[in-house]
This record gives sequence, structure tokens and C-alpha cells, in this order.
Amino acid sequence: MVRRKAASSQQAYNSADGSAEGLNCCVQLTKQPDKGAVVDVFVVQICGSIRAPSDTYRAVVRVLITDVTDGMSAVRSVHSRVEQWQMRDSPAFCYETDLGKIPNTAIILSDWMIVARLRLDWLTFPRKGKRNLQFTTSILSGQSGEELARGAYTIAYENSEFGYIDLQENIEQARTLTVALAFAVSAADNKLYNCEVELIKNWARGNIDFSKASNRAERKLEKALNKTVGFFRDGNQIDVCRICKEIVEMVPIAVRYDILDLCLHVAQANGVATAEELCLLKDLASWLEVGMDRFREMVGKILPVSMHQVKDLEFVLGVNPDMGKNETLQRLSKEYRKWNARVTNSDPQIRKQADNMLDFIAKARSECVA
Amino acid sequence: MANIAGIDLGTTFSGLAILNSVGRPEIVPNADGERLTPSAIFFDEENSQIIRVGIEAVNSRYLNAQRSVRWIKRYMGDGDYRRNINGKEWTPVELSSLILKKLKQDCSAERGEIREAVISVPAHFDEVRRKATMDAGTMAGLNVIGIVNEPVAAALYYATTREICGKVLVYDLGGGTFDVTIMDVRGHNMEIICSQGDHALGGVDFDAEILKMLEQVYKEKFDTELITSDEDRAKYEDEAEDIKKTLSRRKVAKKMLYGPAGNVKTEITREAFEQAISSLIARTDILLEVALEEARIEPSEVDKVLLVGGSTRIPLVQKNLKKRFGFAPETTVNVDECVALGAALHAGLTMLRERPDAVPAGISSGLKDINLTDVCNHSYGTICAPIDKKTGRRVIENRIILKKNTPLPCESTQMFYTMSEGQREVEVTITQGEDTAVEYVNKIATHRFKLPPGRQARCPIKVTYSYDVNQRMHCKFEDVQSDRVLEVDFSLDQNGAISESDVSQKAGELEALKVE
Repeated sequence: MVRRKAASSQQAYNSADGSAEGLNCCVQLTKQPDKGAVVDVFVVQICGSIRAPSDTYRAVVRVLITDVTDGMSAVRSVHSRVEQWQMRDSPAFCYETDLGKIPNTAIILSDWMIVARLRLDWLTFPRKGKRNLQFTTSILSGQSGEELARGAYTIAYENSEFGYIDLQENIEQARTLTVALAFAVSAADNKLYNCEVELIKNWARGNIDFSKASNRAERKLEKALNKTVGFFRDGNQIDVCRICKEIVEMVPIAVRYDILDLCLHVAQANGVATAEELCLLKDLASWLEVGMDRFREMVGKILPVSMHQVKDLEFVLGVNPDMGKNETLQRLSKEYRKWNARVTNSDPQIRKQADNMLDFIAKARSECVA
Repeated sequence: MANIAGIDLGTTFSGLAILNSVGRPEIVPNADGERLTPSAIFFDEENSQIIRVGIEAVNSRYLNAQRSVRWIKRYMGDGDYRRNINGKEWTPVELSSLILKKLKQDCSAERGEIREAVISVPAHFDEVRRKATMDAGTMAGLNVIGIVNEPVAAALYYATTREICGKVLVYDLGGGTFDVTIMDVRGHNMEIICSQGDHALGGVDFDAEILKMLEQVYKEKFDTELITSDEDRAKYEDEAEDIKKTLSRRKVAKKMLYGPAGNVKTEITREAFEQAISSLIARTDILLEVALEEARIEPSEVDKVLLVGGSTRIPLVQKNLKKRFGFAPETTVNVDECVALGAALHAGLTMLRERPDAVPAGISSGLKDINLTDVCNHSYGTICAPIDKKTGRRVIENRIILKKNTPLPCESTQMFYTMSEGQREVEVTITQGEDTAVEYVNKIATHRFKLPPGRQARCPIKVTYSYDVNQRMHCKFEDVQSDRVLEVDFSLDQNGAISESDVSQKAGELEALKVE
């Protein structure tokens, strides 16, 4: 006997094609423990009939998820964050697992059988907000891949995170804001060097979307860039903190790393990072919510200490005045260990930088102990 | 049979010791009767075929600094460093080989042929520098049977000549480098726990601080520079060294400065000197703490501190150590000679292990109870491309497989996976270094590992690195599904930039030169 499981509170409605191929599918969103934490999981179950070409036939179960919020004519894929569950040629989610051997050519599952537990954090949806997700569960031949049975189920889900389409749009918007931040770094010392301006312009040309590429769009970008240069050359300022907060709301950490990366390159472009530029960079890292360790790592690679007009202990080594003596010494030891391992690097520039850092650390320690 | 020798190829001084008939190491004096030879080279102005090494080269610097070379060890392994003399571009390896040739030549004349030798290097020297040191030895006509870390050599000598037991810290502050090694010693059983080193910290840096003080005194008095030529600089570098040595015995050192604007008598106090070197001393303190941390021991758990290297004579160094450990460091043996003496012992142990039949019975018997367990000097890894958990992006990073300070012999395995469907090869890179970021590690070898066709992504590749007591590394890459294997062997005489034929050719060229 085939029973349909009652819809839970997360299940807004059942799909109309649930038993089109003799197989019924049902999905529930539940919580389950995982390595000491509790994670959200879509539990996929099946019941109904499966027909196999022969007895003891090996079968595979496959689950695909699509976003049907905008109707069946505008189906969008749900992406997998985990490489293992991606399709061969796209990031679309595709879960497959061995179902074992089907004992008879015609089998009827009278009770619901769990065939997959899909972690929510594996998935990326197209957009934020209320989504209708269609789970298509297929039973495939383990040998030929031929579909033996299929069932589908649609579930409503409230997505609290940005979807991949949202993200793409946000990234494009954030790139425009990035240009403003980069110019703010360049203008922090009241001088916009040509090398800095060119670096920012080149970045903008390469990163701001030209999907509707046309000469007109390019001209528009050039005009906007020149206008921005003029704005900063006139001594105007922007609210960097507000822009950063806006960016934090819009884009993930990886994009914020890219923004900081550009700003560090701008500060490095003319060979000297002024005190004002360094101060703004530190603020940017904090406002963009990039961890200070990661920030210092980026500084080490892009803006070596020899370029710093003012050598700031906190900026370079992460030592701040609130730290006690022991904590300061431990921090310095950690930095020393890191840079001492780099003094024999095959790149002479890295060797030189490591030497400078060791001197700087030693002086800092000497002052701390004194 | 020829002598078994140990050589301390130092930044400022070098020395050679051989094992006597009962396996005890003895320093062999040079042709001038000196137990140590300055690591200085001077190319004769009259006869380009004559090269002077030692004290004569030091003195000749004052006459023509352009034709003299000192502290070449600091450039060992630096592929960019060249010294042009008589139109020839001399590399650090070639220049170092001249010092070794002088030692070999003088000591062979004194005690019979010197051929099999172990050369000591700072503990922090990487594979390239170790290989460069071996090449220098080969060019000098030596059969370099091994390389030993300087603090290990020193500890070996201490432990076989003194009653030492427990956790021993070897504090090696030499002419140009600084190493700290912590070891566990039980009679003649020695286990290295860890080594840490600073490549540019030693006597020459202390001398440089004194030289700055002298220049400042002169500038303040005459408002002009004391040093106006390389020869002046050479002279005052040695004056600075003298002052440093004096300040190790007395509280004040006096010196007359003869400059272009007139003469001035100056006094440098020990206090002022200690102030000037405070940041260098801070560097030694940090390294010491890093070593203790690495060994996971507190200063109170250290039973003995052994001093090695001439710079340990500086009173501030000894005072600091006493303050930190609560007892005075050991100063009973000659800190300048113990590395060469220990290197000779190490050479004997290496010969016993590799060619026992070639070791005379007396030496064999003298060394039979000594047991040394060394550690991996650096971390070794490979480059992979995992997904960054935070950003979700694929990143290229160095993954350490064999960790620094792992006792030898050692072996470690990690599993990696192919990235794409149908992947036909993997570029395998063997790295040396402690960082995750690939730009901060040295790539010591890269190979292409061919894979079978038509496979899914994420096929496992098992990577195993092993390191034996003779400092030979073996890397094995296994494709688990197909059983295909790529094996790469490294030993100190294989993996450097200079090929064996180049070394032989250069050895032939140097043979023609007369080293005095």
C-alpha cells in the first residue's frame, strides 16, 4: 500500500507530478546533529513502485534540486557548494548514491524510505527570500544510468542568505563602490598620483561589468572615472565607513578581500605608503570586517614594511598598547618565527623584506622589554 | 688510510680537526701554527694565480680591499652573489672552496692526507646552502661524506668529553650566525629535540654597531666622515672587532681614530656597547624563546647551557643567559674549536655507519658507544589547491607533510585528490619551508606525474615523504586506483643548482690556483 506522508509545517504544498512515474517522493526540512553541532537537513524519502530489467539489479538514487519559484517556464538551478555534489559541467546540485540491489523486477515500497539527507549548507539558491524548490528523485540503473523510476516533490523554503544571482548583482554594485574606496585611499594624503589613478582605472576597466559592452558603455565608464578623479582632486571626501558597511551587507568576505587587495595595491603604487594611507587602510580592514590577521598577511605580501612612512606596531605586527608585556612578547615571537622562516627564500625581495621585519621585531622587543 | 676530518667553515674563522688513533678529535694547526684560520681571502696583485687565505689575507685588506673577501658564508647559496676579481665572477661556493683548500692543504702537510670530511653548517641552513657547502668541499678536493649542524657538532664534542645529562641547550653565537639547539643527553646517547637559527646575527653585526659608534664620534668632533675608502673601512672593521673583544674583558676600550680631518682619542664603554647592541640581543632572546617553545620546555627544565662561538664571550650574553636559566652557562671548553672537534666525531660516526670496514679499529672502538638522533632541519611539503573554507574559493597553498624537528628517520603520508574529470597528470612540487603561502616557501623539485585516462575527479593520490639518518629524503607519489608511482630521491649531493660535472670542472680550475 502506498501512503503519502503528511506535509510538515515547512511543506507548503505537494507537487502535482509526485507519482507520475510510479514513485512518490517527499521532502522534509529537519535538524540533525553533526560533529557536535546541529545542522539543517533536507530529508528525502521515497515510496511506490520501481521496475528493474532483472532480479537483483543494482540501482543508484539521484536527487536534483531546481528552483521553480517563478514557474516552470523559468526554472533555475540550485548550486552545490560541495564539489562532490556538483554536476560534471556546472555547479548545479546533483546528489547520487548507491541504492543497493533491487531484489525483484517489480518492487513496491509500501513504507517511506529515506534515500538522502542533504545538508542545507551544501546548497546555494538563486535568490534570497521565499523559494519553491523542486526535488526530483530518480532511481537509475547502476550499469547504464537509465532511469527506472522518478518522483518529484516541491517544498517552500525561506532563504535568508543572498542567492547566487543576488550575489552577482551585489558584486557588480560593490565593484562600483570599490572604485570610490580605492580613490579615497589614493587621496588620503591629499595627493592623487598618476600611477595610483591609472591603477584604479585599469582595475575598473577590467572588473566593472561590460556585459552590454558597447563603446557607449565604455565612454560612460571613462567619464565616470574622470569625474571621480576630479571629485577627489578637488579635495572632496566620501563617507568611507558608510560605504564599507553597505558593502559588508552586500557581498561575502571573498569579495571584500578583493577590495582590500586593490586598496593595498593603490597605497603601494608610488612606492611609499603615507601615514594617512596606512591609517585609512587599517580602518577599511576593520569596517569591511576582514580579520586583522588576514589583513596583516595581505599587507606583508603587497605593502612591505620598508614602504611604510610610519612604522606602526599594531599595523605591522598586531601589537597594540592594550596588550600586556607577556602577550606582546608572545605576539612578537610568533611574528619572528614566521619571518625568520622566510629569510632563506629564493626570492631576493622576500629575503630583504624578511630581514627588515626581523630588525623591526627585534627593535619592538627591545623597547617592550625596556 | 687517510684521516677522518671535521671542518668548521665559519663566517670569520675556520678550523679543521681529525680523529686520532683512538677516535678522539684533535685540532690540526695551519701552516702558521694557528689552530684557527681567518675565513678571509686575498687575491695577489702581482700574480693572479696566487690566492692568500688566512691572517695574511686579513692584513692585505688594508692595502687593497677590492681584492679581498671576508664573511663569504653569509652569501652561501645566494645565486645572485658574484665577486668580480681579475675579470672572473667568483661565486660564494668557489670562494668558500678556497678557504677549505687552504685548510686541507695545511693540515695534510702537518698530519697526512685529509680527504674524508664532514663540514659543519648553521642549523638553519636550507638544502641549497647545505648543497653549496658540500660543493665547496668537493671543489677543494675533499670527499664530503656529510654535513652536520654546528650546534649538534658542538654538543657531540661536549657530551663525549664532559659529564652531561638531561636537557641541554646549545647556544651558538658565532661570527655571522646564531643557532639554538635543544637536546636530551643521556651519557653518549644524544637526541636532538629542536634547532632554531638566525642567519644574520653574529660577531660581525656587533662589530658593525661599534663601527657606527666610532664613525659618529669622529663626525661629531670634525663634522667629516672617518671612513673614506674601502681600505679605511676594512681597517676600522677590524678595530671595531678589537674593541668588542676588549669590552669582553674590560669595562672601557680606548682607541685613537686617524681620520682625514685629524686624530681623536675615543673611549667606548661596555654600557654604551650593550646599549648599541640591544636590538641584536633582543633577537637572540626571541630565538631562544622560540626554541624553548618548540621544545615545549620551560627555562627551569634546562639542565645545562653550552656556549659555542666567539660572540658568547660578550658578558651581556652570558649575563642574560644566567638570568634566564638561573645558572651560569658552561664555558669549560674552547668555544671557537668545539664545532670542528664535534664535526670530526660526526665524520667518524658517518664513516662507521656507511663504510665501517674503512675505519681503523682504534677509532671504531672510541666511537662505538656514541648514539646521535638528529631531526629534520626544515619542513617539507607539496603544493595543492584546496577550497578555502572561508571564501569558498580554490586557493593554491603549501601543505606541510614532513614537519621541521621531527626525529630522524621519519616518514609521513597525506592524501590528496585529483581536481577534474579526465585529469591526465598532476604537477607535483616538493617544497621546503614553514609557510602555507606558496610564495614564502622554496620549491626544491617539480615533476609531472602521469595518470590513466577516463577517470572521475577526486581520485586519491597518496603522498609519502621519508627522511633517513643520512639526510636523504625520499618522496613517493602513488595513484591509489592505478598503483602508478612516482618516486623522487634527494640527497645533499643531488638536489642543488650545480651539477656534478660543473663541480668537477670547477674543482679542476681551482686545482691550478695556488692557495697560500
